[in-house]
Amino acid sequence: MSISTAPAKGPAVATPPSPPGRRARRRPGHAREWWFGALLVLPAVALAVTFKVVPLVRGVITSFESSSGFGDSSFAGLDNYTRMFDDPVVLASFRNALLVVATLPVWVVFPLVLAVLIHQRAPGWKFFRAVYFIPYTIAPIVVGIMFRQILAPDGPINAGLRAIGLEPLAIEWLNGQNSALFSLVAVALWSFFGLGVMTYLAGLATIPDEVMEAAYLDGAGFWRRLFSVVVPMLRPTVAYWSVLCASGVLIWLFPLIYALTQGGPGNATMLPEYLVFLTTFQFLDRGYGSAIGIALFVFVAVLSIFSVRHMFTEGTRKPR
Amino acid sequence: MFRRRLAGVLAAGVAAATVLAGCGGDGAGSDGPVTLKVLTWEPGGTEYWQAVKTTFEASHPDIKLDMQAVPFDKYPEVQGPYITSQSGPDVMANNAGLELFDRRGAYVPLGEKAAEINKDLVTYSGACEGFDTSKECYGVPFSYQGNVLYYNKDVLTAAGLDPEKPPATWDEFGAACDAVTKSGKTCLALGLSGTFPAYWDFPEIARNYLTEDDIRGLLAGTLSWTDPKLVQTLEKLAEITTKGWTNKNAPSITMLPDGADIFQRGDAAFAGTIISDAVNWDAFGKALGDDKLGVTRWPAINPSAPLAQKFSGIEGAVYGVTKWSEKKEAGLEFITWLAGKENGELWVKHAKGQPLNTTVDPSLLPSSPAFKKIQELVADPTLHAGVMLSGPEADALARGWQQVTLGQLTVDKWAEQMQQALERSPTKQQGR
Amino acid sequence: MNRRHSAQIGRYLLIFALAVVAVAALYPLLFTVVSSLKTQTGFARDPLGLPTSGITFDNYVEAFKRMDMPRLLLNSIITTVAGLVLSVVAAMLVAYTVTKLRFRGGKLVFLLIIVTLTIPSQAIIYPLYQTVLDLGMSGEYQGLILAYAAFGLPLGTYQLAGYFQQVPDELIEAARVDGAGHFTILFRLLAPIATPALAALAIFNFVWMWNDLLLPLVIMGGSDSKTLMVGVSMLSGQYDVSVPLVSAGLIVALLPVLIIYLVFQRQLVSGALAGSGK
Repeated sequence: MSISTAPAKGPAVATPPSPPGRRARRRPGHAREWWFGALLVLPAVALAVTFKVVPLVRGVITSFESSSGFGDSSFAGLDNYTRMFDDPVVLASFRNALLVVATLPVWVVFPLVLAVLIHQRAPGWKFFRAVYFIPYTIAPIVVGIMFRQILAPDGPINAGLRAIGLEPLAIEWLNGQNSALFSLVAVALWSFFGLGVMTYLAGLATIPDEVMEAAYLDGAGFWRRLFSVVVPMLRPTVAYWSVLCASGVLIWLFPLIYALTQGGPGNATMLPEYLVFLTTFQFLDRGYGSAIGIALFVFVAVLSIFSVRHMFTEGTRKPR
Repeated sequence: MFRRRLAGVLAAGVAAATVLAGCGGDGAGSDGPVTLKVLTWEPGGTEYWQAVKTTFEASHPDIKLDMQAVPFDKYPEVQGPYITSQSGPDVMANNAGLELFDRRGAYVPLGEKAAEINKDLVTYSGACEGFDTSKECYGVPFSYQGNVLYYNKDVLTAAGLDPEKPPATWDEFGAACDAVTKSGKTCLALGLSGTFPAYWDFPEIARNYLTEDDIRGLLAGTLSWTDPKLVQTLEKLAEITTKGWTNKNAPSITMLPDGADIFQRGDAAFAGTIISDAVNWDAFGKALGDDKLGVTRWPAINPSAPLAQKFSGIEGAVYGVTKWSEKKEAGLEFITWLAGKENGELWVKHAKGQPLNTTVDPSLLPSSPAFKKIQELVADPTLHAGVMLSGPEADALARGWQQVTLGQLTVDKWAEQMQQALERSPTKQQGR
Repeated sequence: MNRRHSAQIGRYLLIFALAVVAVAALYPLLFTVVSSLKTQTGFARDPLGLPTSGITFDNYVEAFKRMDMPRLLLNSIITTVAGLVLSVVAAMLVAYTVTKLRFRGGKLVFLLIIVTLTIPSQAIIYPLYQTVLDLGMSGEYQGLILAYAAFGLPLGTYQLAGYFQQVPDELIEAARVDGAGHFTILFRLLAPIATPALAALAIFNFVWMWNDLLLPLVIMGGSDSKTLMVGVSMLSGQYDVSVPLVSAGLIVALLPVLIIYLVFQRQLVSGALAGSGK
């Protein structure tokens, strides 16, 4: 069996698909099939509209209102939006969000490498597979509490660094302008990489063993094999995980910010999601909070536009 | 075959949903006792609130309490939607001060009944508009809160200081810190993350510069942050960290539990924490030994300032009846009971807190020397400047202090940011 | 010979790297267990070391005393399992319709559902609560179950669509010719193929629904119907944050998730085998 870079056609592909096409076939069944389909998508559409779209639209309406505390609100036009542009905290939060997004390649590649190693049946792979998932099962509130101790100036990380003679690296992780943000991202990555490994493993399971083995026999180096053989075959899974990370990373950081830094020191770890929370619930400025929330929605949507487009084509393309 | 199994699954699902719907609803029978929904974050702990429920229900057979306990850090997110949609619990809690005033639209004003309900309390002004009991009051408090400086006598002794004579002035405090630091310990255990600096440290410094009128001005948003009095307050706050009196990681940790833990484990000489609930004489006494724990007022910067030798006290959580409640009578009965002697005694016994009710049996009060000292300090109260700050101000205070400590901000710039935060505060704009 | 030697070294390095990651993954869980066995003052004195002043199970006793464990467990199981099942089934139906039926507007439906992934939950809390209230579902299991299902929908739909889409239409046609109905095709033909995806999805949804705080709080509002995780986070108060007590509560809350995970892990393995055996 030769290896091509085409995406895997799924486990059930015993025979290559021959294209008879169902395009030119009975018309009468069409309308019935449409109604049947409509019936099938109805629950999902109802759920998405009721719990996501309707609240979002209501949120958009609030973002055009000026509301002080819990009192009455009045129409404010675009005030809340124009205000954002000269609010240094808002700008800092989106700058930080961009920095976080810049770490996404690590989020995608790191679990993939681990998954491939486990899939190759590296010694002890069963143990590693079981263990890697554990961090994800720990609730975020506790992850925060734990890492406050672990990242402390005299905590285990710094003790370890000092023990192996890397004293200069033993910094006050949460005190610095950049180190605080990246420490948070590292904690979030710790918390979620196991999910990535699991996702990739599920994807790898769909690739026929012969294909993988042939790639190994090929004698290519690990990284070349990874990117020229495994990634193309895993394309749907990689895309899925990328989308999950792109849309989730800012949300995942929220409980950690709450437990570890509250956006500080200064605004070093302020992220839009947390700012929405502060503005809405601590500052009681609902209109402005909603506006920042909508800006965040646009930010994430733009960020994931490529992935969503990819998702869209992956999910709707029919092998004809 | 498969289809039949699927049908079975669906049927089971429907049956389950019906059962769920049945037990989900709180069937409030029309003839039975009234059930009051009480939204609380359980200040004082679960044990205390269980005692409240059983004791109250025992003496009020016609009222049942349905406690909706929500973790403190999620409380605003739960309460906010209730208030905007004017629905939900019959009785709710908020912290006295600006937090309560901001939400006063959600509560039934007590009118003339306030004086009668609260007659046995040391103070209840924190539940009333502008801290003025002659204006509208929105609920009842029953606990008393405020800040003192706890100290570890052993650490002071080891540093060559007299544990019976803690520093009383700013200069003495500085000298004591130098001695403690030389002995290898942290002087003041501190965490600057979150709003604790606003509520715990700011009022203690501000008392040296402000009068009660100034503090009311802070509440109304009429006192500018660029006023020399407030700038001086910020300068002294900054000194605490820039002079190296605290643990180095102060900007990035929270006071609870991490800042307080430094003191609890005996690594610091002082900790500025509270008198009720947690990290108080009870917790520290258990950790360090009652005889090793000292209590004093924060050192005075201007000992002759009118408020310098007073106690910045504040009522704890205030419970009020909601405007939308259909059981206002029962709600009123419950909060009246909360202000009474019976609950005051439960509060002392189960929450180890400072009661506001003056008729609490003195023999029930704890015997710890630190607690006794606190009784002396709280006897001369004044307004608490911290609870006058709006959300944006409290936030800017903490963030500014972190940045000043890390050398990223000057005090003047900090004051400017505080003023901007005041102007951004939607609830204070309303007051002007 | 030399080559084999270096391969050997590479192997050791590989195991070492995997082991380091495993230690990093396990340490915090160990930390939580150890913390839960300390007294509060013991933890304050030495947060990182082993319990020196004796091991205590008081935190577990206290956690059980403060939480109505059977009820909280029941609430969590009902809402999580129902939310999980509903979300996965709804996602399967959409994925099937979009990939395997002639359905005009299918792409639009698919887009609508995956785009909801980017809606930030903080921005929609107020309107979400209002909507739940308008539906009369505030404080009811159904409200939380439906919200869980809605929040779990986009990823499930996408992932299943990705799997279904790879199954050749001919296979489906063949089944149809054999007289199989849509549901037979979906549940007997497509679902087994997508087992790895379903298992991964089930674990992912189970964990986040089980651990979530915001939706149960805003929709259920505390009281008797609160979930286990809400109960655990109630263990710390406004000022009183007892790490040992919260740790004990968490270990108790974590056990069901770990058990589910271990059960499903088998499923994942068998899914993998089924996939490669074909």
